[in-house]
Amino acid sequence: MVKLFSMSLLYKGPAVVIPLTSTYDLMSFNYFQRKSIQEFMTFTTQIITERTQTGQRQSVKEQEYLCHVYVREDRLTGVIIADQDYPRRVAFTILSKACEDFASKVPSKDWPYGQQANIQYNGLEPMLLKYQDPKEADAMTRVQVELDETKIVLHGTMESLLQRGEKLDDLVAKSDALSLQSKTFYKQAKKANSWCCVIQ
Amino acid sequence: MAARHRFSSNQNSSSGSWSISQSFASQFSNTPTKDPPEDSLNDQIAEVMSVANRDRTTEFQSVLKSIKTRQPNGVTPHANAKTPLLQRSEFSKYAKRIGTDLSKTYEKLEKLTLLCKKRTLFDDRPVEIQELTYIIKQDITSLKRQIQQLEENKTVMQTNTKRDVQRHSTSVVRTLRSKLANMSENFKSVLEVRRENMKQQKLRKDQFSSSNLSSSMPSSATQGTRGSVLLMDEQRSSNPSGSVAISMDGGDHPGRSSTQHQTMQLIDQQDSYITERAETMETIESTIVELGNIFQQLATMVKEQEEQVMRIDSNVEESELNIEAAHTEILKYFQGITSNRWLMIKVFLVLIVFFVIFVVFFA
Repeated sequence: MVKLFSMSLLYKGPAVVIPLTSTYDLMSFNYFQRKSIQEFMTFTTQIITERTQTGQRQSVKEQEYLCHVYVREDRLTGVIIADQDYPRRVAFTILSKACEDFASKVPSKDWPYGQQANIQYNGLEPMLLKYQDPKEADAMTRVQVELDETKIVLHGTMESLLQRGEKLDDLVAKSDALSLQSKTFYKQAKKANSWCCVIQ
Repeated sequence: MAARHRFSSNQNSSSGSWSISQSFASQFSNTPTKDPPEDSLNDQIAEVMSVANRDRTTEFQSVLKSIKTRQPNGVTPHANAKTPLLQRSEFSKYAKRIGTDLSKTYEKLEKLTLLCKKRTLFDDRPVEIQELTYIIKQDITSLKRQIQQLEENKTVMQTNTKRDVQRHSTSVVRTLRSKLANMSENFKSVLEVRRENMKQQKLRKDQFSSSNLSSSMPSSATQGTRGSVLLMDEQRSSNPSGSVAISMDGGDHPGRSSTQHQTMQLIDQQDSYITERAETMETIESTIVELGNIFQQLATMVKEQEEQVMRIDSNVEESELNIEAAHTEILKYFQGITSNRWLMIKVFLVLIVFFVIFVVFFA
């Protein structure tokens, strides 16, 4: 089952990584575990961002989660923590989209100095909710799914077309027989007519 | 510092674009007060060629305006009370600003072209090229927005102006738009050239460094995780469904071979994402082709079954004809019989005779 657990944006400065904004979806965990899991996720994102170079995309496997990180050229970083089934490509597409959206809303001079409280950006949460379903995020996935459905429908159509063919063959045979019998009928009627005259 | 160095080496090409920017400036400036600042800018060009030159006449005039409003008889002008002349000069100021921005972006694009056209194997500066690409992209989007705003300004101020002025402003906006479109086309072609070059460079690197790799593979142990990680990465990039646990230690390693490994690793990382996308696109394309095929087969089968349908149709028509004819015959027969009274009487008499005989026999 595909699921996103958290999304966060950070700024990878030359010496230190500064978290800018993050959002978590931990409904699937125990209430008492949530705080520790959130801390663990924050810590993991920090470490992973430190270890990734600029202009690079990486996916790191951590217990049963996958962390996808993308460090952009201007050092804005996006990290997504998802489960194993979430397709990698879609995660990176989401990261690119989120980074661009953030860059357009928050001016870039704020990034090296931002704290989580200062930055006014609340577009991450709706994105996290929306992109729980990978089809929403990625047009290519959507297209692929629709094409597969269309293919299935078409296969069904082919089957019914073959059945139609069989029925048509049946009809041909029956109409053949019908025409033969009607011909016999006509001949007999003609014979009866002429026989009647013979009687006369 | 390296930036200044490069700019002085690119002086000739930049001077051409600076003259373009000057022609823009002269085209869109209305008031004569702007000329002295332009002359001083000219002097600056002769000394230092750097993009840090900015035209600050607009700032100067905004400062003047703010001082004017602070005076006792100064009333803050409302947007609606602006005279047409003021609106016109604002429009031209804005257009001039857009023109200068356009020329600056042209310069950056030229720099990028020069960088991308280099064919040396080891002097490549991918970081700078990517930064520059990114900056140019941002510039293009902001320019688009500015031109949009300019157009909106133009429609706002069109209430009090003559037709010629309106036509002039429309043509100004159109010229700016076409220049922007030109630039984005150039940008696209530059990116394609860059892609081709990168491909060729990668090929050449593989050719030249294949011996290098084999000599350094035994030393992967001494290089730490880097060499073996490269191996793992190559294996994984050929296996598209595998996603990946690479934790790299950041930090610089001396030596050209390791930087080469590093760039190859970077390109491989990018490549795996990009190749994944490319594969998905290919799958989609093949699915669409299959779908087309299926539709074609459907059409063929329907056409074949059309024949059967025609046969059925003709058979049914034939049988209808026959039945009609037979019906007519029987009708004739019936008419013949009923109108033939004597025959009827004869037949009934014979019947009655036989019936009486049988009854007499059995009784």
